[in-house]
Amino acid sequence: MVKKIPIGPFHPLLEEPEFFELHVDGERVVGIDITIGWSHRGIELLSEHKTWDQVPFLVERICGICSCSHPYAYVKAVEDLCRIEVPPRAQFIRCIVAELERLHSHLLWTGLAGHFLGYNTVFMWTWRFREPLLDVLEAVTGNRNHYAVMKPGGVRRDIPQEEIPNILKLLDELEKNNHMLTNAILDDPVIHARTKGVGVFNKDQCRLYGALGPTARSAGLDIDDRRDHPIDAYDKVSFNVILCEHGDVFDKAVVRQLENFESIKIIRQCLRMLEGTKPGEICTEIHEVPPGEGIGVYEAPRGEVLHYVRSNGGNMPIRHRVRAPSFNNILTNELSVLGNTVSDAGLITAAVDPCYSCTERVGIVDRASGERRIVTEADLVRLSQEKTEEIRKRFAALKGNG
Amino acid sequence: MEREEVKKRIADKFGSKVRIAERSPKRVFVYAENEIWVELAHFLFDDLGARYDTGCAVDDRDGVEVMFFFPFDREHFFLTIKTFAAKPNPTLNSITSVCPGAKWIEREMFEMYEVNFRNHPDLRPVLRADTRPADYFAAKREVKDEHETVRQRDDGDARADEVAGRPPKGTNP
Repeated sequence: MVKKIPIGPFHPLLEEPEFFELHVDGERVVGIDITIGWSHRGIELLSEHKTWDQVPFLVERICGICSCSHPYAYVKAVEDLCRIEVPPRAQFIRCIVAELERLHSHLLWTGLAGHFLGYNTVFMWTWRFREPLLDVLEAVTGNRNHYAVMKPGGVRRDIPQEEIPNILKLLDELEKNNHMLTNAILDDPVIHARTKGVGVFNKDQCRLYGALGPTARSAGLDIDDRRDHPIDAYDKVSFNVILCEHGDVFDKAVVRQLENFESIKIIRQCLRMLEGTKPGEICTEIHEVPPGEGIGVYEAPRGEVLHYVRSNGGNMPIRHRVRAPSFNNILTNELSVLGNTVSDAGLITAAVDPCYSCTERVGIVDRASGERRIVTEADLVRLSQEKTEEIRKRFAALKGNG
Repeated sequence: MEREEVKKRIADKFGSKVRIAERSPKRVFVYAENEIWVELAHFLFDDLGARYDTGCAVDDRDGVEVMFFFPFDREHFFLTIKTFAAKPNPTLNSITSVCPGAKWIEREMFEMYEVNFRNHPDLRPVLRADTRPADYFAAKREVKDEHETVRQRDDGDARADEVAGRPPKGTNP
């Protein structure tokens, strides 16, 4: 008998509203209907009523976690339109802040995934490792989130010289901790059992659906805007694009964990090169934005962010289009959850690191009888954790026998 | 495939039905007529190996300018294809047969600008609350006849063309 399980509009795992209607046959998912737009805030329209300089403050509020990514893509779009170059020091500062953000975003995802799987130790570790990162961001930008560091033409704040040793110390610590975390995750047979072969979205499907970021790279689609469409200092630093091949939840985790090392590498290089630049030279003044259009792209932690702006020569954009990576990535759930169980569905939809937030209830509708019942976030997490526990017990029994 | 080669192959295949403009070495724009729209997307995506990225619409008095972004990652440039869907019933063929990932953005353009995508598998609004009236299109602008729009102005400045989303003057490569 086929049943419908609506998940949302408030998602059981994460922080923003979303609606997934799962069509299930027993425990197996046979179809899905996704509805987005529950927190449509009209940002694009608001932006058309703000001056070019005010827009970064608006767009950094699109997402709390990626609060540097949207302003970054936006200022690149304006700079593309104005055809201007940013001073070298500002380029390095931008990359440093952007990579610090990537680190805390990836750690946050790992922690949440750990919690959902029933590994609350992983959740607590990642939160502990992430905290000093936010402190450094606060020291560098003035805020733990919503850094307000990007502006068309450069950055708003310089990095004080005395902060650099603190950042380097943090990176050393973080590198060590990330090694430990990565090994713990990659060596755990229960995590393998819960995530390998789950939520597979292959390379061809990624290309057809325009999947982005770690979602695409986990399936072997070799795209990364930091290398392919380098902005600012990204063509002055060396780093590897991390690729896996299976496109399942496990590979998505691997890509994120290994990307942390690359981010650390990038930040170290930028800090080294920052020393060769003149403190205080952090902005090119833009006196006038000409008529025309500009495209700005930036590889955010979740994938490419794209901003398109159009100007008629006035002091506000006449059109501003924002495309967050989750817009493409959430659609991949259309295929990736099929054939999996309900207890895995939450994990799969969360594996693309969707940029929507938390809540916390799920409705289950029996298609035949029309009966409806609501379950809570705790129920869905419990379902997932119970599955992990069951696998743990099975492994323990095997060990005992062996 | 290099940028010049891409431009040449597009010009060879579609001739006068497209106008190609290069705003910078990293930004190429192709203005296409409606009837070759899907074929152009297919050519870029399947034959030339571009990546599908996303789309965007811009409302104008006479219609809606619709564009899709197809980056060439290995060649480090963005190619944007544009076409113009005339009002009062802006209609275009859907490119979801080429890239299924365009499903949501086409639904959004329909919902916001009333662009009707023919052959779309499921052209429902994607963002709208169920309670909003079906004939309300949030970003569709009704401009009174006497109001001057950028599309009406023609001061011969290439920049004005850019603002109005008009194809550039000159010849293809």
